[in-house]
Parts: sequence; structure tokens; C-alpha cells
Amino acid sequence: MEYDALVVGGGIGGMESSLKLGDMGYKVLLVEKEPSVGGRMILLSKVFPTLDCASCISGPKMSSTINHPNITTASSSTVLGIRRTPEGRFLATVKKRATYVDPAACTGCQECEPVCTVAVPDQFNADLVPRRAAFLAFPQAVPKKVVIERAGTSPCTDTCPAGIKAHGYVALIRNGRYEEAFQLVLEATPLVGTLGRACYAPCENECTRDDVESSIPIRRLKRFVADRHYETMQGPGVVAPEPNGHRVAIVGSGPAGLTAAWQLARLGYGVTLYEASPEPGGFLRYAIPAYRLPQDVVERDIANVTALGVEIVTNSPITDLEALHHDGFDAVLVATGTPRSTTLGIPGEEFAGVQSGLELLRDVRLGAGPDWTGQRVVVVGGGNVAMDAARTARRLGARRTIVAYRRGRDEMPAMASEVQDAAHEGVAFEFLVAPVEVLGDEHGRVTGVRCQRMVLGAPDASGRRRPEPADHSTFVIECDAVIGAIGMVPDTEDFATTLRVGADRRVAVDPLTRQSEVEYLFAAGDVVNGATDITRAVGEGRRAAHMIDRFLTGRPLDGFVALDDRLAAVDKAAVLARQRTYTPREAAPDTFSLSDGPTDFSEVERVLSEVEALAGAGACLDCGVCSECGQCVRACPADAIDLNAKDQVIEVDVGAVVVSTGYKLFAADLKPEYGWGQYANVITGMQMDRLLAPTRPFNTVLRPGDGKVPERIAYVSCTGSRDRTVDNPLCSKLCCMYSVKQNQLIMGTLPLADVTMHYIDIRAAGKRYDEFYEQSRAMGASYIKGRVSKITEKDNGDLVLRYEDIENGGAITEAEYDLVVLAVGVQPNREVEQLFTDEHLDLNEYYYVDEPDDDLDPGRTNIPGVFVAGAAAGAKDIVDSITHAGAAVSQVAAYLERRRDDDLINQELATMELSR
Amino acid sequence: MSERRIGVYICHCGGNISDYVDVAAVRDAVKDLPDVVHAETSLFACSDGTQQDMIKMIRDQNLDGLVVASCSPKLHLFTFRGVSRRAGLNPFEYTQANIREQCSWAHTDDRAGATTKAIGLVKGAIAKTRESSALEPMAVQTTPASLVVGAGIAGLRAAIGLADLGLRVYLLEQSATVGGWVGQFGPTFPNDRDGREMVADLLEQIQERPTITLLTNAELTAKSGSFGNYAVTITVHGESESTVEATVGSIVIATGFDTYQPEIGEYGYGIDGVVTLAQFKELVEASPDGIKFHDRPVRTVTYVYCVGNRQPGGNEYCSKYCCSATVHASLEVSAVDPAIHQYHLYRDIRTYGKYELLYEQSRKRGSVFMKFPDETPPTVERAGDGRLLVTTRDTLSGGVDVTIPSDLVVLVTGMVPRENTELTKMLHLPVGGDGFFNEIHPKLRPVETVVDGVMIAGTCQGPKTISESVASGLAAVAQSGAMLMKGVAELDPLVAVVDASACTWCGECQRVCPYEAITQVEVDGHDVASIDAAVCKGCGGCTSYCPSNAIDLLGATDAQMQALIENLVEVTVP
Repeated sequence: MEYDALVVGGGIGGMESSLKLGDMGYKVLLVEKEPSVGGRMILLSKVFPTLDCASCISGPKMSSTINHPNITTASSSTVLGIRRTPEGRFLATVKKRATYVDPAACTGCQECEPVCTVAVPDQFNADLVPRRAAFLAFPQAVPKKVVIERAGTSPCTDTCPAGIKAHGYVALIRNGRYEEAFQLVLEATPLVGTLGRACYAPCENECTRDDVESSIPIRRLKRFVADRHYETMQGPGVVAPEPNGHRVAIVGSGPAGLTAAWQLARLGYGVTLYEASPEPGGFLRYAIPAYRLPQDVVERDIANVTALGVEIVTNSPITDLEALHHDGFDAVLVATGTPRSTTLGIPGEEFAGVQSGLELLRDVRLGAGPDWTGQRVVVVGGGNVAMDAARTARRLGARRTIVAYRRGRDEMPAMASEVQDAAHEGVAFEFLVAPVEVLGDEHGRVTGVRCQRMVLGAPDASGRRRPEPADHSTFVIECDAVIGAIGMVPDTEDFATTLRVGADRRVAVDPLTRQSEVEYLFAAGDVVNGATDITRAVGEGRRAAHMIDRFLTGRPLDGFVALDDRLAAVDKAAVLARQRTYTPREAAPDTFSLSDGPTDFSEVERVLSEVEALAGAGACLDCGVCSECGQCVRACPADAIDLNAKDQVIEVDVGAVVVSTGYKLFAADLKPEYGWGQYANVITGMQMDRLLAPTRPFNTVLRPGDGKVPERIAYVSCTGSRDRTVDNPLCSKLCCMYSVKQNQLIMGTLPLADVTMHYIDIRAAGKRYDEFYEQSRAMGASYIKGRVSKITEKDNGDLVLRYEDIENGGAITEAEYDLVVLAVGVQPNREVEQLFTDEHLDLNEYYYVDEPDDDLDPGRTNIPGVFVAGAAAGAKDIVDSITHAGAAVSQVAAYLERRRDDDLINQELATMELSR
Repeated sequence: MSERRIGVYICHCGGNISDYVDVAAVRDAVKDLPDVVHAETSLFACSDGTQQDMIKMIRDQNLDGLVVASCSPKLHLFTFRGVSRRAGLNPFEYTQANIREQCSWAHTDDRAGATTKAIGLVKGAIAKTRESSALEPMAVQTTPASLVVGAGIAGLRAAIGLADLGLRVYLLEQSATVGGWVGQFGPTFPNDRDGREMVADLLEQIQERPTITLLTNAELTAKSGSFGNYAVTITVHGESESTVEATVGSIVIATGFDTYQPEIGEYGYGIDGVVTLAQFKELVEASPDGIKFHDRPVRTVTYVYCVGNRQPGGNEYCSKYCCSATVHASLEVSAVDPAIHQYHLYRDIRTYGKYELLYEQSRKRGSVFMKFPDETPPTVERAGDGRLLVTTRDTLSGGVDVTIPSDLVVLVTGMVPRENTELTKMLHLPVGGDGFFNEIHPKLRPVETVVDGVMIAGTCQGPKTISESVASGLAAVAQSGAMLMKGVAELDPLVAVVDASACTWCGECQRVCPYEAITQVEVDGHDVASIDAAVCKGCGGCTSYCPSNAIDLLGATDAQMQALIENLVEVTVP
């Protein structure tokens, strides 16, 4: 794309430049980083010295800008780099940030705003009030399009192997929208209650709060909404769609199979789940003990699936996958998990009393568990099944339960919390021991395990240090039962004719698509990966369902590579850095009730109370800003929101560049003696302008600390200007005048308030400015000469200003005020330094864009063809910026005309050459 | 009246309107009116989506009139005219009914009343549209030339800028030489550049540009025509007086300022050794080896600021450049002789922006600054030894009175507006209370005047520094370019027209026209009024004055306004 000029920055200087160039007939691309043009002026209350409403006079200018036939406006966009072409023009790379809202469809109705679950400081209200993550920048925004702020994927959501929008449901819960939270989890999996209990919650390890105090109780929040849902509702609350005519068979009804069935059923597929066992659920039902995952929870979760019409055929082991296809299933998913235990492989395994952990857990679930009252049980292994078996043994009456593990505690594959809980319940541990033989008596009954001491050697393939025998000596642990829980493998022999089965019995499929060499056959979950955990299995089920859907709808199987097409995870350090105030929270309460010697299988964890849930969710830092709760997508009447939108990068060819990147306001916390950021009632001039603006947040002027209407208001001029202690000896030029303007507006709004300005010099230099200042004095504002040295806060929020009272004898004086306004000055916007990649844009000593001849050639920079307009070249008020932009435009036009003339001459010369 | 096909949109404005006006009821009240072929409500009529729908509707239904009931036309008149144009409907067949500012927002306490009023407003707008007719904007061919009046620093730079846009330039200067004040200056702040050199530089550039005609000893003596095509007469004085006639599209006024002339006795003015800043600077420049006054070395200089400025009842404005110019002069003095004592008696030091650095430097070089209270200005008297005694109250030292024996007292005088009565009258230039020319809008349109195509640049608009004057000159260039570079300007056709058969030429209309758009012409032997459409602003002043009712205003004809009012008053609000 070609333009005559690129204007960088859509504030008043950039708009004026664009409009004038457009009127001259040049094609202009205006790039604005914010969602709206208008810069700072549109945010102001009124302007000095006319007291015109800023919105009323800049609004039409904004509207003219984006509707101008010669101006193309790219809002929410940034210029990544500009370089010169061989033809002497410029090539600019422009990033159009994804706003996640289709601007052509959005009507700016803002229906999305109230449903948005995230509130962040509203930068367009100078952080005085919050706004939503889905927001219209301000009511007069041009273009009037909502944007959604996404800093990235929140770490909790990013890490979830099941692809559950953890941040989303936490944010919904914080907003009291429990059922919506439940529904959001349902979008990933029907196993809401299950995961609310038995998930190992990798999200909580990633939680940014976890880095500073303790994680949000993300898993327990999920359980909270699941329990609430199931208390009041039967089924998922989701209506089955019209059948799409396709049928899918899923072999295995564990978490992967159930999730795949759910996902496919929601797309209208006719799904039949085949389960070898008498009841569906796989390990949910047969492996995880009831004290962690009660039976009825699993049943309710499974009922979600059957509610959508999924048929579950139990007691039906499948051996012939092809037969299913012949029976009319268009696709078949194998999700049979790892039902077989690895044997200990040592002598004596045949003795009565030796069994696998899985067998034990299954027997207990079927009501056929042994009575181990008074007995001694040794569990061999260090994984979660070992922990479950050991804790189950305690509940079966075992007098002593010992977990024997060949590595150390730190190397245990079981979740640390499981190990801790087991210890709490009286399970003992023997680390660095390996069984070498099971001992039995003459009745064939177990009497003990002979073990060998181990040490850790070099790391093995898994990265863990390999245990090696310490010496040749052995010892015996006497016991009545031995439980082997050292591993699980798939049961895939029957599939070996149709699927490729590896030596470890795992099914080999395409790692991305989960498709086998037989195109209608898919496999996912532990049968592919070996033993993992429920949450990974859920993710596998989602992925398989997605791929099967693509397969059956004839689309290429290059769907998501990660579980979702998501943004990169947000940087936690950046999240913490952007917190303006950080309030440490108490950790969510311990909801476990563990006893040494549990006697039954009742659930060991209670649900969070509503108060606890709200407190827990309320501590969320909204790392990614947008929580991906999806409420906006539903609320949008125009169907304009697409959270999967992507940034776009375009290249444009332009003849000239106008830098109108404006200025930054001085960060008042760099003057700690004034207490901004610490004292609630010390605000900046921009904050006061927002309090006075027609779109003001509180509809009156009040002090932020306690909402009191202030009666004594002080201005501190030259905050951050004329001040070498903050490396800014320059005068910011506009602060005196905006202060005087605000003085008058306050006297109008609060007729009884006393307004005092502490100043060094009143710099009312400009047309009608001094008259305006005199008018302010005549209205009753006080002006006290003398720089304020310190501000302190009283208990009631009032502020004490300390200054030298120069005009009255020079005594050090203190005065009390209700509200203090810091007249902050301007700072260069150093983003310009990144604009040019192959040429150097000169800045002056104070980092404003340099004008080599600011006397006679205002607006011209050191780079031919590059011009500067407005406050990017130094502090300017509105009229100065407008005038300066006009000057820059005349320079741009002269440059473009000269180049056109040169081009014409060159063309003519070339033609003459040719004709000769 | 033939049948019309009018589409009506009633906007919710997201709730701004629909919270207080039952927009569906408004639609139902108008949808079956004669000539209304389509009526609907819309959440946001101005949104891109609705605009697309409207365009489709206008085309599909072959509409010949459009009414949008929404906000103030100030906000979206041009939006919906644009929609009409894009849909192939004449933009002047569009009428906006303001049911937000003039209805929903004003009657938030009375939903029923607001709804009734909105119905009246929309019915009125429909009635007005029924009487509307297609109008074409007037295309005025513009002359690619500009006249610059005044060849000071702003005018010189503007002339170069205009020529660089490809415009023919006439640059006229009243005096014999170009350069104005700056052309008489030595080093200037903040860059120490020599004013004479700057002017010489610009003059050289002007001479390089054949499209610039520079006329010195010249003045603008006549002007006629309108924006885009002003016919100007320039009289060149000299041995033989001559005139130059030219047609220009725009005029840039850059006539500059005069300096304040202190009255005798004002801060001792008149006493030998009390000089103005300009005189002092000449002295400094002429004394590279040590400053002398009447051959006596100058050891102490006292500056008195704000002479002739910030004076209640006098020149109340601040001249803005003088503080920086004075601290800059003090630096020059220090450079010549660092031992000279310099005292600055000021009220506020207004070295804004980067000029602050000059102030800082001046203090570092030893200048002493004393702030005097507004109500206690310094006094100057001659002492017995011939030196000057300056007495001032120094606020910065606890309000003590200080007397400074000085060799020189420099009165820092500001700018005053230049006498330009003839020019002001000829061009109808608006003059502000401070005597400087007035812009259209002091914030957003600082170089334009209410007279189309006439710009003001430099210090004739108000006190400025050199770079500010140059910037405003170039801003006037940009504005000229924006108006003239396309070669054609579109003017709104909403102008007054005369029915020659009804006009009896009483002259009333000519008398009330603020734009001199009306002339007396003869048509078929009758004297009648004729309105220059390019000059007419469509203010409607003449239409209401015409005793014969011979003038109508296009876009707001009597028939349209009557129909609007009759339909509006049909509804009665309880």
C-alpha cells in the first residue's frame, strides 16, 4: 500500500497534520496506538483560555479525521519500524494490534462491558476508576468501537493441560456468576466435579499470587461451582444440538473417553461409549478412592454426558475396532487408558496377600476390599496409585502401612500434597529401598518383603537419578500384605492387528492429530501416552474430539497445535510490576480434615463456603487482563467478538513521515516528598481534569481517599518541571495554565471551596493567557509564591503542605488542605527512538525530537522527508501544537512537491535519453 | 407535490435516547405517514453497520429522502449526508431530527412527554424532507496564488512556503526593506542567531524562486471578489507610483507589531541612561570590547520588566517574548564583560519551555533577580553623581526595599498592535480587545479568520517569538495549501436566492448582509438584488428582512420551514 505521508500519532498534532495534508490532496495513513484518536485533548474538561468544552471542539476534529476521504486511520496500531527505500521513499512496518472485536460489526453498543468479568484501572480516567477488559475507550471514542485488552494468556489458563479457562472461571466466580463459571468449565469437559476434587491443579503452581504469598484456590473454586450446580440442577444445563448424522464410537469411558464423547455430542455427533467394566468412568470410578472422589460426583459428571444423548454400553470390551466401523461408526476413538499393572517381577509374587494397587482400589470400589484390621501392609512404589493404595490400606484397618520406594522423597512421582496427606493419615515411608523378594509362610501367605538399600546414581532417561544397590546386604520388612504400585500399562493386544502397538503396549498415532494409519481410527489419552493424570487425559479427549470433528467434516487435520490457539503466556514479573497497590491476601483456608488412622471412605475435603470462594477468587490479579470467560462473546448482539483474532503486520510505502507522538506526563511518584501514590488525596492535574470533565467519573469533584467534597484545594506547580533533581530543568509551559483553568472550573463547581496555587512563576504567556490568570485572581483563587518542599498526610486524610512564604516575610509555613493537585509537567515520549531502523532520528539534549533549525524551519528533522509535529518536539499547549503541525504540514508538502518535480525532471531526462 | 419515498431511522443512541423516548412508539407514529416507505429503529444509527444497512435500504427502496432522528446535526449531519452520497441520494435530501440534545437529554423526567415531543420533531423533519430538493454544491475554481502582506520574518518565510507548494506568491512590504524587526536584530534567543543574517538568508531563498513577486514600498489598496479568487490591487510607491493587479486565492496578513513606547517619566524614561531593551541591545552589540555609555564604562545594569504590559487598564496582556529576550541579553552582556552587575526587577519570569535554560544560565552568570509586588513598581531617579538610583521592593528578600545605583536602566518593553486601520477595514479583519487581529478559534484555528481565505500570521495576531511567528506563517501556508492545492473548492449550496420577479430593490437586504454578498443589478429594466453565492454564508439574515418576501434560503426554504413547524406543532405535549 502506498501513501504520500505516514502520520505517527493521532493526538491533536497528528490529526491536524493529517487533515491539512488530506485537504491538500495527499493520501495519508494515520497510525494511532490507542483505540481512539484524539490524544489527550479529548480527555480534558475544558481548555484555556476560552473554557470551551474539550470534547465539543475536539470531537468534530476526530470525526473529520477518520471520515476524511484522503485519510486512512489505523487505530490500536503501532509503527514497528521505518526504513528508507532505494527510491528515497520510506517503508513502514505497522502492527495492527488485535482488538478481538471486528470493527466493521461492532456498533459500540457496549453490551459487552457490563458482563465483562475483569476490572482494571481506566487509563482514560487517569486511573481514578476501573474499567472493564472489554471496553470503549471513552464515550466519544472515534472510531466508536469496543476493544478487548489482552496482555496474554493468564499463566493458570496457559498451563492447564485440559485447556480449561481457569482465569475465566475464577473471574466469573469473583463476579458471583457461579453457574456461568460451571458452564465455562463444561466447555472443556463434563468432569467439573471430578476435576474440582481430583485434579492436581498445575494452574495453582503457576498462579502469580503463588510467587508472593499463596495461590488462588483454583481447583477448589471449580469444586465450589460444581457442587452448587449439582445441588440445584440435574444434568449439565446444556441442550443437545440437532444430530449431524455422523456416529462415533469411543472405546473406554475414562476421562479421555468421556471428554471426547462430550465434545463430540455437543457438535451433534451420535456417540456410543464402550466400557469393559460394569460401570463407566474408568479410573475415576475404579482407581481414585472415594475419600478423594466420591462416587456420586463421578456419576453426576457422567450424567452430563448421557444428558446429551451419548449412549454408554458397559460390560462390553471391544476387541475388533474394524467391526465398529462396519457397524456404521464413521470414526472410532480408542481411549482405553492403562488398566494393567506392572508386576514387581521378584520371587514370591504368587503368595496370597500380594496384589497390585489397581486391583486393590478396584476391589474397594466394588465393595470387595479386604479387611486388614490390625495388619501390616507394605506398598511398593512412589506414585499416586501407591499413595491411594496406602491411604486405602489405612482405611481398611491396617495397623501399619509402609510405602517402600527405591528413590528418595524428592524423586517421588506422586504429587507432594498426596505424599503429605498420606503421612498425615499415618502412612510411613521407607525411602531408598527396593524389594528383592516377597517372603511367605507355609500356607502361601505373605510374611514380609526382603529389601535392599539403594543409593542414587547417575540420572536415567527420565532425568531422575537411577537407584543402585548400596551394598549386598538385605533386610526384611515383616507384613501381611504387599501392594505393588510401580507402574501401569495399556491393554492393547487385541488392537495390534489394526493399530500399531509399541513394545510398551502403547498405541502409536500421529502425535498432533491422534489419527492412526487407519484414517477413521484415532487413539488418545494414556493408551497413547502411558500413565499420566486425569487432567491430561481430559485434554487428550478434547484434542481427539476436535480432530475427529475436522476429519468427519472434511477439513485438514491441522487444527490446534497447542490445545488451543492461544496467546503466549503473560510474563508474571510484568503482572506484578503493573500492580499500583498490592494488598497481601491471606491464603485460602485449609479445607482438609485428615486424621491419623482414618476409618472410612468419606470425603476428606470440604467445599469452600461462598465467602471463602469469593475471597479466594477476589485475590486474582487478572494476569492476562482478559480472563477469556467468554461472556462478551455471548453478550455481543452483533457477533463481533473473536477472542482468537491475531495481530496483523502490514508494510506501507510512504513518501514522507510526520512524527506526532506527543508527550508523556511526569510520573508524580518520582517526587516522593509529595506523596502521590501514597496519599490518596494527592492527585495529578490530569486526574483533576478528569474529575471536572463532562464524562467525569463521579459527577462532581471529590477527593479519592474518602469521597469527601474538598473545601480546601491546593495546587503544587512545577511538579517535575524546572527541577534538576528529576533531570528536567525545562519549563513544561502548560501546567500553569491548566492549573489556572482548573482553579476557575473548581470555583464554578464548588463555589465554597478555597483554591490556592503554590507557584514559582505564573507562566501565563500566550494570547489572552495573562488576562485569564487575572480573571482567576479576581474570582478569588489565591496564588502563593514559593515552592512546596514537602507534603505530609494527617490521619483524617488531610494534607499538610510545607513551604517558604516568600511574599509574607519568608517564614517556613505549613498549611492544611483537603485535596492537593500536583501540576505535573511533560516528559518526552521516547518511543520515537524506536521508529527508524536504518537512519538515526536526532533527539535534542532532553530527548525531544530535534529540529536542526527551529527558528526558520520548524517541523523539519535531521532526516530528509521526516517531520515532527506538536509536542514530540517539545512542550506545547494545544494551540502551539496546532500551529506547529501546520508548519510541519507546509514542510511536508514542500518536500513532496519538490520530490515530485525532481521525479518529473528525471523522467523527462530519461525520455530524452531514450529518444536520442 | 409529487409522491416522495422517504426512509426514517430512529436511533436509540444506545439508551441515550431510548431510555427516555419510546423509540418504537416514535417509529409506529410515523411509519404510516404519507411518503414514508420505510421506518425503523436502530441501536446506533451512526455505526458502520447501520450505515451499510441504510445505504442498502436507500438503493433497494429507491429512496429520495432520508430522515435520521438521533443527536445534534453538529455531530452527525455530515455523517448521514455522506451516507446519502454513498448511496446515490442527494445529500441535501437528508434531514436530521435532533431527539437527543433537544429531547431525551432535556426531558429525562418525562418519558411520555419526551416521546410525544420526539414524534413531533420527527414528523416535522419528514415534512421538511417532503419539501426538500436536490442541491449541488457549488464548485469554485480557485486561483493557485497567494498574497502575503508584510515581509517581516513571518511573511518572508510564508512566501517561501507558499511558493514551495507550487503557488504564485505576491509578497508586499510597506517599507523599503524587508525583514521587519528581526532584520534589525543582532543575536536572537535562543540560538544566538543573528536576525539580519536570518533575513538575508530568507531573502536569498525568495530571490531563487521566480514564482515570488516581492514588492517593497507597496501597500494593498483595493480588494474585491471572494475566497479562491480575490482580485487585489497593490500600489507601489516610489519615484513613479504604479499599481499591480493580481488575482489570488488566499491572503496571508503578516503585518507584525509595534514596540511599546514608554511615556516620559514612566520608570524614569526620558532620563539619560534609561533605555528600552531594543536600544540596549544595539548598545551591547556595538560594544564588543566592553559596554560604555557616553564613553563611561557601564558597571551596573538594572532591567525593569513588564513595561507597558500586564497593566490593569492599559495593555493587560503579556508580551511573552520579553522575559526570554532580556535574560538572553543579560547573557550577551556577561559574555562581553562578566564583571558587570545585572539586576532584573520582574513580576514573573516567563521563560517558558526550553527558554528556562537561558534563565538558569543567566542566574549562574551572576544576574540577580528581584521580584517586585504588582502594586509597588520600582522607581528610577537620577542621583547627584549622575548615576541612576533604582528603588524596588524585593519580595524574594523578605520584602525589603533596595536601592540599586545603576549606570543604565533597561525598560523591558513589550509588543503593541500595529495601526492598520485601512487594511483592517478593507479586509473586514476582526480585531480583539487587545488590538491584535482575531483568529476564528484561539485553540484550533489560530491562523484563520472569519473571512474565508484570509489568514493572519505572526505577531499581528498576538505577541510571539521568532520561531512562533515563523511557525504561524507556515501554518497559514498549510491552510492556504489545503484550500487551494486542489484547484477547486466546494461550497455548500445552502445560500439565499432572489426571486427577481418579486424583488423591488429596497436595499434592506444589502444593508443587513454581513458578508457583502448582495449587489444591486438590473434585470429586465428593474433594479433587483443579486446574491453572490460564493460569498453568501446562508445565514438567512436577508430572507427575514425582505419586505417583499423575494428571498428564499436553499435547504431551509419557507415551504420547508412552514411544513416543519406545522407538523411539529401538531403534537401537543401535556
